[in-house]
Amino acid sequence: MSAIEELLRRRVLLVTGKGGVGKTTVAAALGRAAVAAGKRVLVAEISYESPRDAEEQSATVTSPLAGAFGLDTFADEPRLIEGGLYGARLSPLAGHLAFLRDTLPVRLLADAAMKSAAVRRFFHAAPTLAELGIVYRLLGLVKEKWDVIVCDLPATGHALALAQVPQTLADVLRAGPIHSAAQEGLALFRDPKRTTSVLVTLPEPLPVSEALELHEGLHKLSVDCSMVVLNRVPPNPFSAQERAAVERVVPDRMKMLGARRIPRIDRAASAHERLERELRLPVRVLQEMDADVVARIARALGGAS
Amino acid sequence: MNERRSSRPIKGREGKARPYIADILVDKRVVVCCGAGGVGKTTTAAALGVGAAMLGKKTLVLTIDPARRLAEAIGAPQAAKAPVPVNDTRLAEAGITGTLATWMVDPRVVFERMVRRLTADPEQAEAILQNRIYRALAQLVAGMQEYTAAEALYGFVESGDYDIVILDTPPSRNALDFLEAPRKLSLFLDERIIGVFLPGSGGGGIFRNRARQIAHGVFSRIFGEGFFDEVQQFLAAFSGMFTSMRSHAESVRTLLKSQASSFVVVTSPEPAALAEASHLEKTLTGEMQLPFSGFILNRSWAYTRGLASPTEIVLPKDATPIDHSAVAKLEVLAQDELRLAERDRRLLAKLREKTNAHAVATPQLDGDIDFAALLLIAESLVMGAAEEDALEIPASRRT
Repeated sequence: MSAIEELLRRRVLLVTGKGGVGKTTVAAALGRAAVAAGKRVLVAEISYESPRDAEEQSATVTSPLAGAFGLDTFADEPRLIEGGLYGARLSPLAGHLAFLRDTLPVRLLADAAMKSAAVRRFFHAAPTLAELGIVYRLLGLVKEKWDVIVCDLPATGHALALAQVPQTLADVLRAGPIHSAAQEGLALFRDPKRTTSVLVTLPEPLPVSEALELHEGLHKLSVDCSMVVLNRVPPNPFSAQERAAVERVVPDRMKMLGARRIPRIDRAASAHERLERELRLPVRVLQEMDADVVARIARALGGAS
Repeated sequence: MNERRSSRPIKGREGKARPYIADILVDKRVVVCCGAGGVGKTTTAAALGVGAAMLGKKTLVLTIDPARRLAEAIGAPQAAKAPVPVNDTRLAEAGITGTLATWMVDPRVVFERMVRRLTADPEQAEAILQNRIYRALAQLVAGMQEYTAAEALYGFVESGDYDIVILDTPPSRNALDFLEAPRKLSLFLDERIIGVFLPGSGGGGIFRNRARQIAHGVFSRIFGEGFFDEVQQFLAAFSGMFTSMRSHAESVRTLLKSQASSFVVVTSPEPAALAEASHLEKTLTGEMQLPFSGFILNRSWAYTRGLASPTEIVLPKDATPIDHSAVAKLEVLAQDELRLAERDRRLLAKLREKTNAHAVATPQLDGDIDFAALLLIAESLVMGAAEEDALEIPASRRT
């Protein structure tokens, strides 16, 4: 079974990595690859929209994943993006409302509660509750018809937080509905049959160190990781012999056009080696390219391992 | 701040106007680096710190979660409780007369300090610090960096120990979250919310009472009665601090909105980073009304002057076919690089048009970021060419 087929057997794929490494592009491509494999697929992105944003219909909330499909934004409810592929946002607000509706005896009370500024603000501003809302929304979507939900997670801190929050809440609250929701979230994230993560990084020393740290962080939280995507790898046109020849014939490579690119190529090669050595996971290499990125990455990811 | 101490004459190369960055570093007390993740924001903040020290300033760089190697380059140990000065001899060797200290913001330290400062007596501080809820929250990574970055910044500016404080903004999808954090915290500490938990605090009309009833019902139900009591204890212990925390959050906003502050947006030439940079600029100048100063185009290929072309390589007569094919392939890379240089120059011109010339580029560098690399970037930021036609590569490092 190829690495991608293995990946698509899980219900939830958490696409994670440091900011700026290309998570969104990879999440979009994984979504398309999953559709190509005949799955019912939802791509989702986290949206920390504040109640104020929601009230004012503020246009400042960026939605990079929707942007990757040429859309402005996703809604709370899944909508069709293109053949077989659906998109939605995971917002704390939607999660909170769903949580209150499930918890409170009367639906009317939940709606009234969410209309209360005090309650809404509390849920928005209290640390951890925003993350819990997102987890709860995800739990709701997992119960729907989707074979695979691809989640584009924000920067590292938030990715770890998302997995950590259920633990913290389950520790702090020893019983009650929030405790149960947190436990349910934990069970989902920690079940490698249902959830796995895809780590995206760049072929430079620092991003690789950060990826290794993130991997360790996920491991500590018992979140499975099944693939590393090494993004924007500069193509290396040289054979080993040609590479040695360049060293001989170019005296000062930082003073020569073209040769300035060689250090990057070298760093990319050692980054790749280091990831394979330290993680023992399949490493997918995506070459740096200009146009039509998503489609090409989808093909590269969808290929045999 | 009109005092202008300077270790070097500051003028642009070839007599051109110096870049806007030099003005900022001379005039401002706070510089905030914003940008999408992965554009080299931390490196740029560190280089700006070196640049300010070059201009004779007592400088502090606050970084959030910098990668280890960079921390080594600027001399920031991982777990310091206070700013650490960069080795004087290192600065002196580079001809720098100012000072440079760096600190990696540790949310726990900042929070604990705040609790100790804002509580009436040590016993009350201990009560808060030992509270089970406080401890659980303090362990969380989520959001804490945002909460504490602005707080730490404000504390150091107020201390008067530094001429200028440079902040590397926290890594988050919305790079401006940290600005909202103090406001968000004060929302959380809003009397209307506290009132829900602490019956008897504040009066309130019929609306307040109604809200309290709904909220009380909701919270008891979802948290359970036991936890509700604990939250009450936590908030009761905290309540003495609320007023000062709120006014503090306001002061942070006032400082950041004032002319003593400057926001620069760091971007790389990648399309996604550029889109984010443009969004940030709009948010800063638009709804947030913060003093945006300009762009820094990081890791650009724009500097090409003084570079040889592979076509100039003269191979010896006994050169092998491999030597020839190596040079031929190098030429392809060179063509590609010229294309990138052209792209980046156009980009820079566009950014300058947008900001009335307030955009500068930093060069591509070989290898990891060390102190020598930071010096080079700092030089190109502070003294580099302001005009497009004066772009040239700085003296090559490491051969």
